[in-house]
Amino acid sequence: MNKKKEVIRTESVSKVYNPDTIPVHALREVSVRFDEGEFTSIVGPSGSGKTTLLNMIGGLDEPSSGQVFVHGQEITAMSDRERVAFRLEHIGFVFQYFNLIPVFTARENVSFVMFLQHRPEREIRERAEQLLVEMGLEEKMDSRPAEMSGGEQQRVAVARALASRPSFILADEPTANLDTVSAMNLLDMMARMNREEGVTFIFSTHDQRVIDRARRVIRMVDGAVESDEFREG
Amino acid sequence: MKTYLILAWRNCWRNRRRTWITISAIAFAVLLSILMQSLNRGSHDLLVENMARYSTGYLQIRDVRFEDDPSPDNAFEYGDAIEKEVLAMHPDVRMVIPRIQTFMLAADDEGTKGALVMGVDPEREQVLNGLMDQLVEGRFFSWKDGGSGNDGGSVNDGSSGIEPSEAVVSAGLAERMELAPGDTLALIGQGRFGMSASGLFVVSGIVKLPVVEMDRQTVYLSLPQARYLLSAEEHVTSLLLLPRHKRDTDDIAQTVRTKLAGTELTVATWEELMPDLLEFIKFDMAGSYVLSIILYVVIGFGFFGTVLTLTLERRREFGVLLSVGLKRRLLSLIIFLETLMVSVTGVLIGWLLTTGVLLYFVQNPIQLTGDLAESIMDYGWEPILPVSLDPGMFLSQGLIVFFLAVGISLYPMAKIARLKIIEASRS
Repeated sequence: MNKKKEVIRTESVSKVYNPDTIPVHALREVSVRFDEGEFTSIVGPSGSGKTTLLNMIGGLDEPSSGQVFVHGQEITAMSDRERVAFRLEHIGFVFQYFNLIPVFTARENVSFVMFLQHRPEREIRERAEQLLVEMGLEEKMDSRPAEMSGGEQQRVAVARALASRPSFILADEPTANLDTVSAMNLLDMMARMNREEGVTFIFSTHDQRVIDRARRVIRMVDGAVESDEFREG
Repeated sequence: MKTYLILAWRNCWRNRRRTWITISAIAFAVLLSILMQSLNRGSHDLLVENMARYSTGYLQIRDVRFEDDPSPDNAFEYGDAIEKEVLAMHPDVRMVIPRIQTFMLAADDEGTKGALVMGVDPEREQVLNGLMDQLVEGRFFSWKDGGSGNDGGSVNDGSSGIEPSEAVVSAGLAERMELAPGDTLALIGQGRFGMSASGLFVVSGIVKLPVVEMDRQTVYLSLPQARYLLSAEEHVTSLLLLPRHKRDTDDIAQTVRTKLAGTELTVATWEELMPDLLEFIKFDMAGSYVLSIILYVVIGFGFFGTVLTLTLERRREFGVLLSVGLKRRLLSLIIFLETLMVSVTGVLIGWLLTTGVLLYFVQNPIQLTGDLAESIMDYGWEPILPVSLDPGMFLSQGLIVFFLAVGISLYPMAKIARLKIIEASRS
């Protein structure tokens, strides 16, 4: 019996692009559950639907059919405005291209999400500094993205994702644009956050380095789950 | 709000060169637009000022029949008592200036010209328009009556009771009639109620009037002299009211009009007295407004192009910001602030530049020469390009740019409202 608390559940989620012209089935009846503290990789070839699934879970896209629940709340039934507020409180995002705000420093990038949550100024400052120190970026706090390497930018992006104390972090190909050392450093950081603070990570990736570190690997082919493998942590 | 302001401000400077080009375009549009209006308004203000001061006054009391029949027949009685009564009508009436005027023939040895004969109190005219400062030759006729000008007989001695018979002639008329101080001028015309009016006057001085039309034809007599000539003792054809401030004109007109109701007198403002001039000014300003609109349309498209590029360039960033939880309306606010900041900076720089240029032109008015000056003078304008410093122009141009910025920022706002996060994040 699984005693862990459910964080995410998808029920028969399908996504069809261009349904009226040339339909493309990005997801086919995907039902999957993610529990608290997981470190999961969703893998598969390009076009297999892993990023689409991540977008559904993150409330960034709406399924053609099926439902997505986060903490028991059906986010697929929420309005756009409700989903924005929900994402802000519950979900952290890490993108392939880092996507930091270029005119903000590392500290400001991390603080911005907490600012949107209307956290007290002192808490924002302390947490941003603490996260950047944990990411090994104490020297780069006041640097802008253009003054940082790709690995450093991605670590700031992870710190930003963690800043809002989300229920889980969705990372779309987080190591795709990083060299091996930076990728391994990043994975170490995320693994430590997962192990020590229980942060739930869900990656979409085809990077074997990420797959090797995952404790659960979901393989997708043609928009459907082909296998779901749990490994010993 | 501070964070949004910081974000917007820094975003403005992500591409410094582009931002400076946009700011420069706005500043240039503001500069040109205000300068154009300032020159127009300056010329109009000067024209109105001169016309009002030398011709109609800002406000004028006259007989109700005078407009249709501007002859001495429609003069009205004026004395100390009436002057006190008029002054008491409104506290902002600084002074009353009596005039009697009619058209007559002016003749000398060489020929005859039509002339506007004005009986005036030079000292009061001096307060209104600095008439005596316009003297270019000779001297002004003597004037010993410092009162209402009603007691003409006490001024001079002689058979008419008003001697010596002196006149001050405008420079244009003097030139046309080849008159100089010391020459004799005959005035022939009709006095009050069909009385024959004629007299010989020695030209005591020549004045250069800034209103060309008046400069071509005016003969000034002392008020008692003119009254005697026109058989209109104790009468004037108009009573000019000098307001303490020009802005009081309409208020005074309204009050005086109410108090004159039921009498044969009426009051008119310069706009009512010179409707053609008002129409001309409106027509002339319309041209400058059209040019301003064209200028702003051109600048607006340039500005819009910048915002369009900026919106397309930053689609992914917008998508990411929306992904992490920024509300669409707050993202729109940031974009609006960016547009506004660029506009405000452009307007402020435009204002500074314009102020500098206008202050220079105040000190050094542009003097027109040659054919252009001639044609300007034909319209009754002085051949200079005066400028106006009316703060209203600065405000209106600022508002135009503000609304331009609001209009332009609607595009990125509409884009943000319909932005699909997934597509934007992948772009």
